This record gives sequence, structure tokens and C-alpha cells, in this order.
Amino acid sequence: MDPFALIWWIVLLPLGGALVQALFGGAVVRGLGPQNGKKVMGFLAVLPVALSFLLGVAVLQAHLEAGAGTERTVVLAPWIDLAALKVDFAARVDSLSLLMVLVVTGVGALIHLYATGYMAEDRDYTRFFTYMNLFVVYMLVLVTADNLPLLFVGWEGVGLCSYLLIGFWYRDLANAKAANKAFIVNRIGDWGFMLGMFLILVCIAASVPEAQTDGRWLDFGFILPRAATYLADRPELATAIALLLFVGACGKSAQFPLYFWLPDAMAGPTPVSALIHAATMVTAGVYLVSRMHIFYVLSPVASAVVASVGAFTALFAALVAFGQTDIKKVLAYSTVSQLGFMFIACGAGVYWAGMFHVATHAFFKALLFLGSGAVIYAMAHNQDLRNYGNLRKYLPITCWTMFLGYLAIAGVPPLAGFYSKEAILGGALASRHAAASVAVWAGWIGLLTAALTAAYMTRLTVLTFFSGEERWRRLQPAHAHDGHHGHGTEMAVHPEDHSHSAHAPHDHEDPHGFFYTDEELAARAEPEEHHHELEASHEPKEAPPSMTFPLVVLALLSVVGGWGLQHWAGLQEFLQYPGVQLLPKGTIQEHPHGVPLMALSIGAAALGILYGWIVYRRGLPAKEGFDESAWHPFRRWAGRQFGYDDLVVHTGVQGGDLVAKSLWKGFDAGVIDGIANGLGVLACGLGRGLKAIQTGFVRSYALLMLAGAVALLAYMVAVLTRIGGGN
Amino acid sequence: MGEVRSLMAPLWMYLALGAFLFATGVVGVVSRRNPIVIFMCIELMLNSVNLTFLSLARFAPWLPVAHELEPKAWMGGPAAVIFVMAVAAAEVAVGLGIIMAIFRLRDEVDVDEMNLLRG
Repeated sequence: MDPFALIWWIVLLPLGGALVQALFGGAVVRGLGPQNGKKVMGFLAVLPVALSFLLGVAVLQAHLEAGAGTERTVVLAPWIDLAALKVDFAARVDSLSLLMVLVVTGVGALIHLYATGYMAEDRDYTRFFTYMNLFVVYMLVLVTADNLPLLFVGWEGVGLCSYLLIGFWYRDLANAKAANKAFIVNRIGDWGFMLGMFLILVCIAASVPEAQTDGRWLDFGFILPRAATYLADRPELATAIALLLFVGACGKSAQFPLYFWLPDAMAGPTPVSALIHAATMVTAGVYLVSRMHIFYVLSPVASAVVASVGAFTALFAALVAFGQTDIKKVLAYSTVSQLGFMFIACGAGVYWAGMFHVATHAFFKALLFLGSGAVIYAMAHNQDLRNYGNLRKYLPITCWTMFLGYLAIAGVPPLAGFYSKEAILGGALASRHAAASVAVWAGWIGLLTAALTAAYMTRLTVLTFFSGEERWRRLQPAHAHDGHHGHGTEMAVHPEDHSHSAHAPHDHEDPHGFFYTDEELAARAEPEEHHHELEASHEPKEAPPSMTFPLVVLALLSVVGGWGLQHWAGLQEFLQYPGVQLLPKGTIQEHPHGVPLMALSIGAAALGILYGWIVYRRGLPAKEGFDESAWHPFRRWAGRQFGYDDLVVHTGVQGGDLVAKSLWKGFDAGVIDGIANGLGVLACGLGRGLKAIQTGFVRSYALLMLAGAVALLAYMVAVLTRIGGGN
Repeated sequence: MGEVRSLMAPLWMYLALGAFLFATGVVGVVSRRNPIVIFMCIELMLNSVNLTFLSLARFAPWLPVAHELEPKAWMGGPAAVIFVMAVAAAEVAVGLGIIMAIFRLRDEVDVDEMNLLRG
């Protein structure tokens, strides 16, 4: 059997898993009882993803034997089969897609395993794993697709799964709203992506003569090489396509104008945050830019835009992270910031460095999220950093694995984040791309952001695991409540806290505007998850092995992953297409501007860590406590995302509301309805007037007929007289 | 034919009689409430028209346009009259049938009371 044909099994196995979960999950859990049923279904959820990973390794082996720079297409079945247009279910096997496949299935399998423990108490256990497996399917379709339509299927599919999982605890209105926010903001990105796709079709597929004879003109193998020749003397067209595609990437990968859905997406269960909103789905934008890199190579303007958006987002999100007190929010902004790093790489033309960071970031960010999940799990679902402290005593495994993840993201050598950040910054500072000056600037901003990253991650780690005092011991019952609900300034969302919805009085209508049957109401009334509020006497307990094992594996990957990938030659070769001028490869040995980059980079990390350690080693500083009015104004402002989210909500949502309302009241009710109702009124009046003639009085009809006859006669006589009839 | 014409009353008298009868019929139709009388008046109008047709046909040879007409075209008038009489007979048959039906239904035949279609 051709080993490359296995690529389709990689996609189909999780699909089978999703179907099994969806069709038989409920029955199995009912049949075997919640305890054993959930064990069986959890096993069946992890199995296909893990098998996919093993198959991915097999395909990788075959691929490396054939040469890391090679690429091939594996067709499963025809999809659209017309004379002029042929689209197949075709998978592309090259270094880029295999890297993504391995990250998605590998990290995905670990997170699935983690979720079997984390979600064990949830009523909708199988619904969760249906969505999770389905997400893996769509993500794999996205990264292996060999043509634009199939890529778009995956693109929309992961968006759908993201929506379903953010709103997984949909009974809490805030979660449903966060899901809507993510979905709607992603629609804006998809708008750009689709326009870019159409522009490719219209301008390239229609203009290239081969497209007339070969129906497969939507395949990457057709578009990408021809785009290079066709667009070489049409830079403005390349810029338009590149920028439109980048709008899509911005939406999916949470870059600046469209980033604000990602922090709210933390409303979903923590494994979802780790898998979708940190490790895999949000990197789809980086993948897209890398896959379509020819357009960016041909357009210095677009590359400059990508680099500057990436740099700005990285810096902006890193600053916002300082103002967050919710552990998951800090990590969410950190994710946004790290995605900015990846786009700096893409904008500087070192796409391989961007993908390198995608992989290492998947390791350590998944680790950090899963670790934060274990902390949240241990702390009675309280997510406020200010209530933690000295947890290393209670959660040794979580603490030390997360500590490795923290060192990795901070860029401490020789951990994963060090290598990939080094590659990005080195590539950006040494950029010889046409937009090099922008890229160099982006590189310096990236260096600054690296220092900030080290600082806020130190804040998170020290406040959670070290800093002596066990701050939840200080909690008064009321204070606990306050700490729980007053965290974060923009935190209207209380992820993973739905106890209050169980206590709230319900009539038959809830704030969603849904109506429930009595049966469903009875189900609602019983608390979904048994957990108590965090209180002073709370004793944190380490999570079960199903949760700590993935942490250990991911910690291992975070340590050696960077070194391993750095020495995989295929990573630097994966973007070679015939006929395209190759970009300079950034390497960590380069010394831009005569400054040793490695020293700078390590210095930035050390500076950040040192700052964080000095400020937080003695526990929570007084001016960062629960009383936000005591905060430094800049931190308060950063906590509110510098007003950006409020601005968007005010202008976009409330402004749109206003426009819609005025259109409704003014235009629709006034003009449109006015026309329709006016016509009705006119017809009524006309009828009422004409009714008077219809007397039902036969003789008046006769008289009218007479009058008509006389008038007709008179007319005829007049006409005859004028033309002189009758000679 | 000259002598024949001299034996006849002049054309205007026939036409005047026809107009008078027609006007009488119109007044009757508009003013009377009894459908039978209205029918009679309609007959009067039809017959006044018949009279006009016939007299014009009879006087055709002496009309100023006579030289433009073929002789058989003069027969158009009598032919129209035959049609009118046939149609009038049919109409009376139907009309009287309707009146009988209404009478059976309502025990009276005043046309002013037949106003079901009033708006």
C-alpha cells in the first residue's frame, strides 16, 4: 500500500470518532451508566486522534524518505466533476501540511486525553467529544486540502466547531454571547478570505490559458506556480489578493483589528481553549499566509502590512496581558501576542520561522492552558490569579510542567520558544525582503515584546505557584464572591462558572429567550457540576493522571521540540516551488547590525524574568489587589484593552444597532411600509368612492347606459362632421 | 320609380316617427318599475330602430350616395331587421323566464327591489 494514501485515513478516523460519539455516545453512557459509559466514550474519543497521529508519523517517514522538499497530491474521490471545473477531495502532502497534521493530531490527542479527565463530571460529555473530534477533522481538512474550495470547507468547519465549543455551556448567557462574538468576528475575516479567493479565480484561473483545458484550476499545484509568473508584472493585483487573504487570516488568527473575539473565547472549557484557541485553529491564518506565500512575496506592500499588523498586535496584546487577573485571560492575550510574532515572520518573508513558532507555540501554549486548567480544577473553578499563591506545594506536577512551559514561552534557552523566537527575530532583523525596513522595525518591536512576554508570564507563574502566601486563606465568604465575580474589568464572561445559573429563579423563559419544556426545566434546576466556591479552608488537590500525563508529555515537547525542529532540514525547505525566487533564510547565526542577536534575545528574556521576579516574589503587590482603583492607571487602562473592545462594541454593535433601528423605524416602517400601506389605503378609498355608483338600482343603470349611448353618438356625430362624412 | 316615391310619405316623417318611438321607449325603460312594461318599452325601441332601417333601405335609391352603392347592398337594412326581430324574440324568452323565476322567489317583480348587487 502506498504510504501516502494513509493521509486520508488520518482525516477519516476522527470523522468516524465524531460519528460514533454523536450516534452512540448517549446510548452507551445510558447503557453502561455514567461512570463506565464515560470511560468507554472517552477512550473512543482519544483513540482515533491518537491513531491519526501514528499514521501521520508513518506518512512523515515516507515523506522524508522521498525528500523533505517534495510534494505530492493524494486524491480520495472526485467532488465537483464538470467539464470546465474539476475539484477533488485531494490532500497535499508536503512538509508544511505534514507539520500541521502532526501538530494537530499530536497535541490534539494529548488534549483529548486531558479532556477525558477534565470533563468527566459534565452531563454533555459525548456532545463535547463529538465537537472535539469534528474539530480535528475540519482542521485536518484545512491543512491537507490541495485546493481552495476544500481549504475553505475546513476553514469554515473549524469556525463552526469553535463556535459550538465556546458556547458549550450555552445555558450561561455570557458563554452564548462569547460564542456569537467569535463567530461574527470570524465572518468579517471570512469576507476578506472569500473575496481574495474569488479574486484569485477571476484574475488567475480565468486568465491563464491552461485553465481552459485543465479543469483542475483551483488546485494549489495549478494556482501557485502560475500566480508567480502571471502576477510578476502586476504587483497591485498581488497586493489586493494578499491583503484580502490576510483579512481572513486576521479573523482566524486574532490579529489586531479582529483580535477581540479570542479573549472572550476563553468562556469555553479549558481543553477547548488549549486545542482550538491556542494550539491549532488560531494558527490557521499563519498556515494560510504560508501556503499562499507567493502572493506576499510578490507584494512588498502586503508583506509590510502583515509585518506591521503582527508587530503591533504582539506588543498591544502583551501590554494588555499585564492588566488581566484571570489566569486564562492572561494566556489568551499571550496567545494573541505570540500569533503576532508568527505574522512578523510571515511579513519578513521567513515563513518557515512562522511555522516553526506555530509548532513550538502549540507545545508550550497547550501546556500552559492545560496547566491552567489543572489549577482551575484544583481551585474550585476560581480563575483569579489574586486568589492563588504557593500552589507548588499542592500541585507539584502541574507546577513544574507549567514552569517548563513558562520558561519556553519566555524564550529561555534551550527550550522550544527560544529557538522559534530566535528564528523569527533573526529573520526579521536580517530581512532582505523588499519591505525590509518595516520588517526590521517589526523585529525590534518583537524583541521588546519578548521582554514583556517574559515579564507577564513571570507574573502569572510567580503569583500562581510561588510567592509564599496562600492568598485564598485570606478569603472571607463575601470576599470570595467578590473575587470571583469582580475579576478583570471587561470580564463579563465567567467561564466555567455556572453555579449561579442553577440558583437563579426561573420562570418558563430564560434570558436567552428560549422556552423550555417542564422536563428540561427539571434538568436545568439540578446543578450541572458539583463544585463549591473557593473558600479559606480549601485544600487544592492535584488533578488525576489523565490530566497530568498530557502535561508531562507537552512539557517534554516544550523542552526538546525547538531543538528537534531546528535540526529538521525539511522545515526550511518546505516553501520551494519551481519558478519562484527563493527568500533568504533567516538563521540564528546571523548578527544583524553587528549586534549578537542571541545575546539580545537572551538579555530580553532575562530582563523580563528579573523584573517579574523582583515585583512579584513577595506576593501580590498592594497596588494590584482586588481594589482596582489602587491600580496604576496604565494597568487599569491595559486591563480594558486600552478601550479598544469598548470602542468596537460601542461603534460596531451599538452603532449597528442604532443604524438598524433607525432603518427599521425610519426607512422600513416609514417608507417601505408607507408605500405598501398607502397603496392599500388608496385602493380602499377608490373602492369606497366607486361603491356609490353601484346602487343596485336597475333604472339608474339604464339611465347611465343611455347617457353613454348619447355621449358615444355625440362623439361620432362630431367626428363625422369634422371629417365631412356623408359628403 | 319616380311615381312610386311620389305616392309615399317623405323620408323625414318615417325617421321622425322612429325617433319618437325610440324616445318613448327610453323614457319608459328609465321611468317604469314593472319589468313587463320595461320589456315592452325595449321592444318599442327595437322596433323604432327597425322602422328606421326599413325606411332608409326603401329610400336608398334616392339617397345622394345611391350611385356609389350596388343594388343588393340596399337589402342590408331588411336583413338587419330580421336579425333584430330574432334576437328580440330570444331575449324576451330569456327575460320572461328570469322574471318568472324572480316572481316565484319573491312574490313580486319590482325592479327597484332587485338590488342584491348594490355596492
